Amino acid sequence: MTNTPNGILEWIWFIATEYSDLFITGTLITLLVSVVGTIIGFILGFVVGIVEDTKITKDSSLPKKIIMGFFKGLCKIYVEIFRDTPMIVQAMIVYFALRQAGAMITPIPAGILVTVLNTGAYMSETVRAGIKSIDAGQREGALALGMSPISAMVTIILPQAFKNIVPEMANMFLTNLKMTSVLNVIGVKELFLQAKTAGGTYYKYLESYLVIAIIYFVLCFLFSRIFLLIEKKMAGKKEYTLAVEYMDNNE
Amino acid sequence: MKDIIRVEELSKSFGEHQVLRKIDFSVNKGDVICILGSSGSGKSTLLRCINQLETQTYGKIYFNGKELGKKQREINEYRSKVGMVFQSFNLFNNKTVLENCMTGTRKVLHLSKEEARERAISHLKSVGMAPFINAYPAQLSGGQKQRVAIARGLCMNPEVLLFDEPTSALDPEMVGEVLNVMKTLAKTGLTMLIVTHEMGFARDVSSRVLFMDKGYIVEDAPPEKFFTDPDNARTREFLSRYMSDGERRA
Repeated sequence: MTNTPNGILEWIWFIATEYSDLFITGTLITLLVSVVGTIIGFILGFVVGIVEDTKITKDSSLPKKIIMGFFKGLCKIYVEIFRDTPMIVQAMIVYFALRQAGAMITPIPAGILVTVLNTGAYMSETVRAGIKSIDAGQREGALALGMSPISAMVTIILPQAFKNIVPEMANMFLTNLKMTSVLNVIGVKELFLQAKTAGGTYYKYLESYLVIAIIYFVLCFLFSRIFLLIEKKMAGKKEYTLAVEYMDNNE
Repeated sequence: MKDIIRVEELSKSFGEHQVLRKIDFSVNKGDVICILGSSGSGKSTLLRCINQLETQTYGKIYFNGKELGKKQREINEYRSKVGMVFQSFNLFNNKTVLENCMTGTRKVLHLSKEEARERAISHLKSVGMAPFINAYPAQLSGGQKQRVAIARGLCMNPEVLLFDEPTSALDPEMVGEVLNVMKTLAKTGLTMLIVTHEMGFARDVSSRVLFMDKGYIVEDAPPEKFFTDPDNARTREFLSRYMSDGERRA
């Protein structure tokens, strides 16, 4: 090497350019795991949240009572376990349990699976709260038209609940983007693991971690702005146009 | 006369508290029935039981002579023919005025988009809300919302339309516009069952007036008799209190 970098800033630049491949791969894997994990996790969260919100009444038929009771119990146990244990421990247990059971699962799918399970557990509570936040009259209005409870849920309640939980979903995604760093323990080559590798050769760990800190920051900053835009867009227009063709001239 | 809805020994309890006690009555085709009574007398619960938003603890409901079962599908179909207008409007907040009036006809009656739209607009015109088809409920006044809710109910071509205190959540100056719409509807021969506190409206528009007290229907009479010569002492007391109240206000 002809020019040895001087000072911390030069070292940061040196590490970032010298190991740009590692950092780019790491960024892509971090994005892959967090985006896919969050999206599937949201879907899981919606399903679990809706199951938890379903009420079993006295008039429900016996099979319905048994099946719904079983799934409700299952959801409860799942949510409790994943909310009350650290993600890093979940990652280890899920990964090694699958390997020991003979599943030839590689780190990335395992990492996505852990992210999905974790996101689902948190989102289910958010979805449940979101559904509860919608006035009971919305459901009654739909039922009174003869819509089935499921149809009322899908066409009237969920779209409104969804709007209310978008900020929380954005939060969850940003958390996931950062939380994927713990997946280095099962060998997912995301940003954190790449920084560890990059810092090793020259023993420049501080500089290497500063590089990924900047990358995390920029990613989160960009995504949070995007989410703000989406939120604004979803809030809808404040004004409406009068349909003048139906104005009554006599009035 | 042919009854559309007949209720037999309808009872409803919330825990220990019995709200309806063996109610028997029927709604005939073309009836405009007003149900009066003080708060807590069970009038709203009766209406909600008839629409099955509350399940009765005991008793039966007959629709066109046929007993209403407990199957969800049966209840959905029944509800599509028995409309309901709520005190708090319950318009769908995520839908425009036009979409509010098309949801039922599209999702339940499976009309084509054009048919549903045409029907929605014709009913919105009749309540004077057609210019507002693009507005969302949050952008409307209470009276406007209630008129849209009535149009939404009418779009289903219901055999009976139930009204649960339709003007109680409105500012005084908006009560009139909603009552006027309802008066016009009554003249078209629509069968209506109305829980209300509007005495003047009950006297002018209804064909029968029911008075409820402590979970019983204690008076069931044509308005002329109801307001001048009621049989029940409790009814007389209620009316005298209202009349003196009205004088004080005047």
